[in-house]
Amino acid sequence: MGTILLLLLVFALILAVGLAKDLLKAAIALAAASVFLSVVLFHHGAWVAAVFELSVCSGLITVLFVSTISLTKDSDQNEEAKITGYLLPAFLLFFIGVDFFALKWIGKFIQPAREIAQAATGTAGFSAEFWGSRTTDVLGQSALILAGVFAILALFKRVAKHSPEGMKHE
Amino acid sequence: MSSGIFNPEVYGLLFFGLLTVMVGVYLLLGYRNLIRIMLGVEVISKGITMILLGAGLHQGRPDFIQALIVTFIIVETILAAVMLGIVIISHKIHVTLDIRRQSKLKG
Repeated sequence: MGTILLLLLVFALILAVGLAKDLLKAAIALAAASVFLSVVLFHHGAWVAAVFELSVCSGLITVLFVSTISLTKDSDQNEEAKITGYLLPAFLLFFIGVDFFALKWIGKFIQPAREIAQAATGTAGFSAEFWGSRTTDVLGQSALILAGVFAILALFKRVAKHSPEGMKHE
Repeated sequence: MSSGIFNPEVYGLLFFGLLTVMVGVYLLLGYRNLIRIMLGVEVISKGITMILLGAGLHQGRPDFIQALIVTFIIVETILAAVMLGIVIISHKIHVTLDIRRQSKLKG
């Protein structure tokens, strides 16, 4: 029951992201949703994932969003179609109906739940799984982080060439 | 809320996860501001995290799904960093965040 209440809280904050007119408030609502999602993860024994969710999703990504919002605050934010915000509650009823029937349909193809293979005893099971069975994932993640760093470098180098200040230096 | 084959907590995770993904897709399709669109992507990723956790609990493999969630969070972070970088560059070039006016992003 506690999980359902936490999930309701997460979903309410997600709706606040959609309905908030101010981008900063929307970003903070997303961070709060991440905090409660990390509580859900912690509650189900996914401790490492909970720490990642809390530190990265509600910390780092929020900082990135707030920085971007403050760097682009001179842009026009009033061009949103107002009907999008008004229609969200109406669409929500439709989404709930679709969700209900989709899960009912999916349930026909899914095998019954298994017993939990091993009790969550600290992070030992996770370490064995992550570093042992998912080694390819770790390599992929390293490659992805490098790709992200090079992408950011390439993006901002390009701007220096296009911007008037950059042209003065050339 | 009938849980059927799923236990109530797993059903809740799958139900709210799918609902969150739908709201995220709505944000992606309904808004024009690039930052709001990025918020939509992040909302979808929150839903995916819930679905992954629900699937892992249903299968009885919490450690395996935890490793996948950590991988997914890293992918999500890199995506957010690169996309927000593109948003800042786009704003410097076009002085607007309206996605309808982003016509000069090609190399």
